[in-house]
Amino acid sequence: MQTVKHRWKDRLQRVLITTLVWTPPIGLIVLPLAGFLAYSFFALDNGEIVHRFTFGNYIRFFSDAVFVPQFLRTCLLAAGVGVITLLAAYPVALLLWSLEGRAKHLMLVLFVIPLLMSYILKIFSIRAILGGRGYLNTLLMAAGVITEPTPFLLFNLTAVFLTLSIILFPFTLLPLFVTLERIPKALIQASSDLGGAGWLTFRRVVLPLSWPGGVIGASFTFVLALGDFVTPQMVGGPTGLTFGRIVYSQFGLAYNWPFGSALAVILMAAVLAVLALAARIGRSQGGPP
Amino acid sequence: MTLTKRLTISLLGAIAVAVTAGLHAAEAKELRILTWQGYADDDWVAEFSKANDAQVKVVYAQTDDEIWSKIKGSDGADFDLMSVNTSELQRYVDAGLVQPHDMAKLPNQKGTLPQFNDLTKVGGVGRDGKIYGIPFAFDSIGLIYDTNKVSPAPDSINILWDPKYKGKILAYDASAHNFSYGALAAGIDHPFKLSADEFGKVKQKLIDVQKNILSYYQSADEALKIYQTNDVALIFANFGHQQLTGMLKANAPVKYVVPKEGALAWLDTWNITKGCKDKDLAEAWVNFVIQKKISQALTDRNGFGNTVTPLTGDDPNQKLVWLLPVEDFQKRSDLWNEVKAAAQQ
Repeated sequence: MQTVKHRWKDRLQRVLITTLVWTPPIGLIVLPLAGFLAYSFFALDNGEIVHRFTFGNYIRFFSDAVFVPQFLRTCLLAAGVGVITLLAAYPVALLLWSLEGRAKHLMLVLFVIPLLMSYILKIFSIRAILGGRGYLNTLLMAAGVITEPTPFLLFNLTAVFLTLSIILFPFTLLPLFVTLERIPKALIQASSDLGGAGWLTFRRVVLPLSWPGGVIGASFTFVLALGDFVTPQMVGGPTGLTFGRIVYSQFGLAYNWPFGSALAVILMAAVLAVLALAARIGRSQGGPP
Repeated sequence: MTLTKRLTISLLGAIAVAVTAGLHAAEAKELRILTWQGYADDDWVAEFSKANDAQVKVVYAQTDDEIWSKIKGSDGADFDLMSVNTSELQRYVDAGLVQPHDMAKLPNQKGTLPQFNDLTKVGGVGRDGKIYGIPFAFDSIGLIYDTNKVSPAPDSINILWDPKYKGKILAYDASAHNFSYGALAAGIDHPFKLSADEFGKVKQKLIDVQKNILSYYQSADEALKIYQTNDVALIFANFGHQQLTGMLKANAPVKYVVPKEGALAWLDTWNITKGCKDKDLAEAWVNFVIQKKISQALTDRNGFGNTVTPLTGDDPNQKLVWLLPVEDFQKRSDLWNEVKAAAQQ
C-alpha cells in the first residue's frame, strides 16, 4: 500500500515537473510561432482578416516583382555582413587568445561592452560619425583626403552594411573566441615541437579546430542582420530598403497581418536553413555537436 | 468640549456638507467630455462651470482608437461631447454616433477666421448640409526650409523635385501621407481618393523624388539631429509648427511655408454624441471655447493653430487640405514599398 502510494506520488511529481518545464517554451515560443504560421494562410478582405485557408500570400510573394529580388538582395547583404565580421573577428580573437590574465579579460570586456549599450544609441552615434558634417568627414577634410564633405558615407545601403557589421561584430567574435579557448595548448606545443612554424600551426591546427566556432558566430550575425528593420530605417536613406522593412510595413496601418506573417515565415525558413547548414559544418569539422 | 463631542460635531458637519453637495450635484447640470490633453484645461473648466452652474467631467484620450472604442462601446451614451479630427469623424457619422450641431446656439462661430467661418466649405466637418464638427485646433504639414540654402522662399511643393536640392531633403516615412502630398504636387485636388490612373501618376512622381531625399525620419527630434550633422535644405514637416518651434529653439536658421498647391492638415473638431444628455450645455461649452480668449490660450499653451486668431507668420489665404480617410491604406502601403524598391534600381 505504502509503495503504491509512493509510486503514485512520484508519477504526479514527474508530470508536474514536465509540465512546468514545457509550459514556457510551448506557451512563449511554439504557440506564437504556430500563430504566425496559421495567419500566413489567412487572407485580407476589405481591410478585415478573413480566417479562410489560402496559399494566396505565398503565391503573391513568388509572383510579385518586388519581393523575391528584395529578399535575395537582403540575404546577400546579411551574408556580406557575416563574412566581413568573420574576417575581422579572426585577428581580434587570436589576439585575445594570445593574451594572458588581466589583459585578456580587459580586452575581452572592451570588445563585448558595446553589447550592453542601447541599439538605438549605437545607431545614433554611427550617424554622428558618418554624417555629411560628421566626425569622419571632418577628419578626412582636415587630413586633406577630400576637399568637401562626402555625403556617400551615410543614408544608403553601404551605410546599412557598415552599421550592421559594426553593431553585430561581437556576435561573431564571441563564439569564435570560445572555440579558440577550448583548443588544448598542448596541441599547439606539439605542433611547434614537430617543427611547425607559426603560420603552419595556424593553418593546420588552429584554423581547422576554430573554424566551426567562426561559422556559428557568422551565422548568428547573418540571422540578426537578415531580420533587422531598425538600422535600414535609420541609416539607409531612400535606397536602404531591406526585407525586414517590407515585413514591418505590413503591420501598422496597412494591417496586412496575413501577408506580413507569410513574409516572416519565409524569412524564418531561410534562417533555419542557414542555422542547419552552420550546425552541419560545425559537426563535420569536429566542432561541438 | 470633550474629544468625543468635537468628533461627533465635525462628523455631523461633514455629513451635512456631503448631503447638500450631493443634492446640489443631482440638481446641477452635468457635462461629460472626452477629449485631448490641452483642449479642456482646468481654468477653462472652472470658469465654464461657474458661469453655467454645471459640473464638467473631463476624460483625456491617448489615441484615436481609444475614443472610438469608448464611444462605440457605449453607443455614445457615456459622453456628451468629444473631439476627433476630420478624418476620424467620418466613421462616427457613418455609424450614427454623432448628431448635428445647432448653429443658432454657437454665436461665437461667426467670429472665427475666414477659412473656418463658413463650415459648409470646410471639408470633412459636415454631411448632407448638416454640421457634425466645430473646428477647434489644427496644424498643417508644410515645408521647413533653411533660409541660408533656399532663397528666395519656396512657394511650390515641387521644389522638392528640384535637382538643385539633390540629397538635401528630409522626408517622412508614411505611405498614406506621401501619396496624398504627391497627389497635391501632381495637381490632383482630391488627394485622398485616387483613381488607378492617378495612382500610377503619383507613384512615378514619388519615385522621381527619391533621388533628392537624403533620409526619412520618424520623429521631429530625429529630423533635427539629422539636420544638425548633415547638409539639409528642406524638410517635409510632418509635425508642423511644433517641429518648427523645436528647430528654432535649437537656433536653426529655418522658416515654415505652406506651398501654393496646399498642405495636408489635421483639424480637430468638437462633436456632440448620439447619447448626449444635455445638448444645450454641450453647445454652450463649444461656444465657450471658440471665443478669442480661450482659442488664443490654446495656441499660446500648445503651439497649434486655433480657429479664431491667426498663427504668427501664417498667410490667411493659405490652402489647407483637411485630412480625410484614404481610399485604401493597404494599396498605398504596397505601392510605397514599390516606390522604395524602385529607388534602389
